[in-house]
Amino acid sequence: MTVKTHEFTYPSVLESEDQMLKDVRTVLDRNAVAGLLKHSFMIVVSEAFTNALRHGNRLDPEKQVNVAVSVNKTEIVADIIDEGRGGLDRVKRKRPSCLMDEGGRGLEIIAHYADSVQFEETEKGGLKVSIKFARTRRKYNKAVARPHGGDHGD
Amino acid sequence: MEIELREEGGVVVLTLKGRLDLASGSGLKDQVKDLLSREKSLLHLNLSHVDFINSSGLGVLVSIMKEARLRKGRLTLSNLASYVQEIFEITQLSHIFEIFPTESEALKSYDSVTTD
Repeated sequence: MTVKTHEFTYPSVLESEDQMLKDVRTVLDRNAVAGLLKHSFMIVVSEAFTNALRHGNRLDPEKQVNVAVSVNKTEIVADIIDEGRGGLDRVKRKRPSCLMDEGGRGLEIIAHYADSVQFEETEKGGLKVSIKFARTRRKYNKAVARPHGGDHGD
Repeated sequence: MEIELREEGGVVVLTLKGRLDLASGSGLKDQVKDLLSREKSLLHLNLSHVDFINSSGLGVLVSIMKEARLRKGRLTLSNLASYVQEIFEITQLSHIFEIFPTESEALKSYDSVTTD
């Protein structure tokens, strides 16, 4: 089976996220990926992309973030690659030390939605994040219908 | 992101439309900073038209809540779409935000606080 990979390159500026989401949405629409699967995938790619922009390339417009998306009948895959430094050292799966912290939730969200996530250091010292979603799993369909937050426990 | 702003009974209601992420979040933060500088610290965010939120957007909301509380104010949220609500639960932020099903219920809660 031939799977076409759609590749995009963006400068490390805030405005790139908007274009990246448009590009990924177009790929998903063309491949009939819809509903919660589409939404969950876009959130996860957005988290990885934001990490690449901010923590990898430190919003240096001279540095680029590459995004490659491929879709087949069984899975959707995205690779997000930055040109930053620190590679794997930047990936510490930790929650915010306190709920009132403003950052540190991206990896938690990625881990929740994605069926698989892998981190790899590039030759240049950047980070490659590979994300995989199965098209048939229901993990991302655990819709939460509660009208508002309360005590749900863990 | 579009932000509509109005005031009801001393509470500033901001209705957000669009994505709440890294880029759009800074605009919201600036707007709230301006409100707080004018002693407007009772804030309500209606999220009914927010179709996408990520951790950067959540960080902005946490920051706004902290700033409002520092000024003895309050931040409430309402009308979260199910997938937005889910993000709040995954990250456990549903435990620290005051989230109401509707805007009117949220605004009503300000009455009870001020009359108690």
